[in-house]
Amino acid sequence: MSKIVRFCADMLYPAIVIFGLYVIMHGHITPGGGFQGGAVVATAAALIIVAYSYEEIQGMLSKFLLQIQESAGLVMFAGVALIAIGLGTTFFYNYLANSGLLFGMSVPFGPNPGELNTGGFLPLMNIAVGIEVWGGLAIVILYLLSGIPKEGT
Amino acid sequence: MIELIGHVLVLIGLVVSAVLVFWFKDLLAAALAAGLFSFLISLEFYILQAPDVAISQAAIGAGLTTAIFIIGIRATGRYEEGGS
Amino acid sequence: MRRELSVLIMIILAIFLFIMAAGFTFGSPLETDMDDYFIMNGQEQIATNNIVTTIVFDYRGFDTLGESTVLFTAVIGVALMFRMIVRGDSDENE
Repeated sequence: MSKIVRFCADMLYPAIVIFGLYVIMHGHITPGGGFQGGAVVATAAALIIVAYSYEEIQGMLSKFLLQIQESAGLVMFAGVALIAIGLGTTFFYNYLANSGLLFGMSVPFGPNPGELNTGGFLPLMNIAVGIEVWGGLAIVILYLLSGIPKEGT
Repeated sequence: MIELIGHVLVLIGLVVSAVLVFWFKDLLAAALAAGLFSFLISLEFYILQAPDVAISQAAIGAGLTTAIFIIGIRATGRYEEGGS
Repeated sequence: MRRELSVLIMIILAIFLFIMAAGFTFGSPLETDMDDYFIMNGQEQIATNNIVTTIVFDYRGFDTLGESTVLFTAVIGVALMFRMIVRGDSDENE
């Protein structure tokens, strides 16, 4: 693509990543969540991928790191759910909610300002799914780019 | 009342952008019109009070699908050939 | 002839769907027992303000686990297919 597109992609990339991480991290308070935030961050990766060719992308995005990231997201999701069995409760039991530990504050009933330190293991689940969707969607587009002929634009 | 006007404008924009997708011979412009269609659908979801679905649609429909189309256009040809 | 037929079928479908959609009122579902349970007890049990996230990740956690597995399997399929294409370009003897 042209120089204008590359400059705009470089400028927009950190802003989109920060917004996606915000959507992931505040998934239990505001609309959004792990899947939506991960898709937003993957859009930033897609912007970079569309703006550059496959040879230039090698230093910015690594297939190996994205694969590790996606697998780590799924393992973290299942692992956080499996800890509940180790504590003597059922699978997917929310053992952190209302416990006073990490993310363990209670919320009053009805409309309230919202507190980040609430939700039990829901923020951990949001982070896990966000990491997985980020890696998965970015690596699909990266593989699509690697399949096209060499000369590019 | 203002909500109804917004609804009607978004729906008219949806029909216009959907027709533009078939009208363009330049495939890059057609892909961007499809992205505009997805963006207007996400706006409609937001008006109908479903912000979760609106974020998903804006990220996947308007972002990733357009990127996939652009990569496909880069791999093949930019202009529509043959046909009627 | 085929062109007019397809346009006619499209118009009939549009009218049919519009009549079907006009019968419902927006924002008032018929069955509300489950919704009322989630809205009344979600903030107290899970300590979260966002009821949608509560349902997706806690009450219906198995559903999200399956969705993540579906995404993982789809990515594995795409990776295998494109790895085959890229390797087929380099050496065609295998």
